[in-house]
Amino acid sequence: MIELKEVSFSYNGSKRQTLSHMDFKIEEGESVGIIGANGAGKSTILKLLVGLELNYQGSIMINHLKVEKKNLQEIRQKIGYVFQDSDSQLFMPTVYEDVAFAPRNYGFSKEQVDKRTTQALKSIGIEELQDRQIYRLSGGEKKLASIATVLSMKPDILIFDEPTIALDPRNRRRFINILNSLNGTKIVTSHDLDLIYDTCDRTILIADRKMIFDGDTKTILQNNDLLESNGLELPLSLQKRER
Amino acid sequence: MNKIDNAIKTIHHMDYQANYNTYFKKIHPFVKLLTTIIYIILLTSINKYHLVTTLAMSIYLILISIIGDVSIKNAIKNLKAVLLLLGILGIANPILETNVITYIGIIPVTIGMISMFTLLLKGIFAILASYFLILTTSIEEICFALKMTHMPNILITVVMLIYRYMIVFLKEVQRIWVAYQMRAPKQKGVQYKAWGSLIGSLMLRSIDRAQTVYESMELRGFHPDTFFIPKEKVDKKSWTYCFFILILLIILRFIPIFEIIGNICI
Repeated sequence: MIELKEVSFSYNGSKRQTLSHMDFKIEEGESVGIIGANGAGKSTILKLLVGLELNYQGSIMINHLKVEKKNLQEIRQKIGYVFQDSDSQLFMPTVYEDVAFAPRNYGFSKEQVDKRTTQALKSIGIEELQDRQIYRLSGGEKKLASIATVLSMKPDILIFDEPTIALDPRNRRRFINILNSLNGTKIVTSHDLDLIYDTCDRTILIADRKMIFDGDTKTILQNNDLLESNGLELPLSLQKRER
Repeated sequence: MNKIDNAIKTIHHMDYQANYNTYFKKIHPFVKLLTTIIYIILLTSINKYHLVTTLAMSIYLILISIIGDVSIKNAIKNLKAVLLLLGILGIANPILETNVITYIGIIPVTIGMISMFTLLLKGIFAILASYFLILTTSIEEICFALKMTHMPNILITVVMLIYRYMIVFLKEVQRIWVAYQMRAPKQKGVQYKAWGSLIGSLMLRSIDRAQTVYESMELRGFHPDTFFIPKEKVDKKSWTYCFFILILLIILRFIPIFEIIGNICI
């Protein structure tokens, strides 16, 4: 369970607030999309959830643990964060080494590390890539490998920051299928509203540092006026239907 | 552009090679680090006129290249810039020390030439030994080994992150260079007026990316206090290897084996 209460935040040295009075709760097993125009604060919310930024006001609870320095290790073990840029996520020489990085850090035995790594690779169908060098992977393969790196932690919560950027249509579809097959709580931030439409039951719209809407995905993504007034457009699949 | 590309590929290849499963990979990293350090200490302790002893020390490198499945030819190719620099550093010796000690045909061999070659070889061998260590041991394993030498965590973290940062930095150089060239196709190199802003943005961008990589490591449980705790103790096989290598190094350093072999042959 994730709970934000009256959360406000501004980056160090900035007078301008990036988030203001954010208030929402995400229950276990929910798939939630966070949408908003550029600079709305989507990625900042994700950073706050994993404690990459701690200087916030209000309260953020992850599975009844407050996001603060002393709880970070426990919280981070429960959350798998897939970065927007796969090159930042993947830093080990081979796919296997990268996927095994987290279980090794959490002190699992050699056998456990191997088991978790193999399972993570298998769950998204990239076992054949395990010995490949990271820099030889395509953009789509890198994204899938990034997901495997967090799945090996067996997290309760999965967070995806702009996951379909730089993916071709086939890899995008593959990614959506994988995302839908994953269990646990999922949070996706994206401009790709079709992705949100296909993967999330609930959507939070943020604009101008505040939460504008929180509710059923279909309701919000079919509301052209609301989307346009907040710098967004209807998903492409719905635009076609309108024509 | 090709040079940057090649540099990135070389680092990736070195990383890959370090994780390649050979017999040498099974030797504990601490033992590999220890033997490399001892080799370099013994090598640098050789008198600058003892060319033959220095040459004998190459046997260790040949042995490591065989058991570590590392190509000496490729190593020299990759290190040619550094080796060239070493050659330049010793170039003053033949000018300063002109005493002739022997002749090869009609060519006089001076003591300065001997010391130049000895110093050159010592430099090359020391660099090759370190290079072989990097090629056969991943940076994480080297960090574990450094931890066993009781080096402070902060220094080990710096060693590891500098290594990782090199790739991030080179990739940013590559991106900026391509972006620049696309808009200045007729120019050779970067115009001096653009140097300031290019270097500035290069630094900011690479620091930003290095920060994201570090965040990604942190989010997957990386913490210097726990990460560098060696996961395995030095096993019997590694100690046996260490013992034999030390015996070999002592023989190569203190027993004039080439002279003995030469005398036997004569």
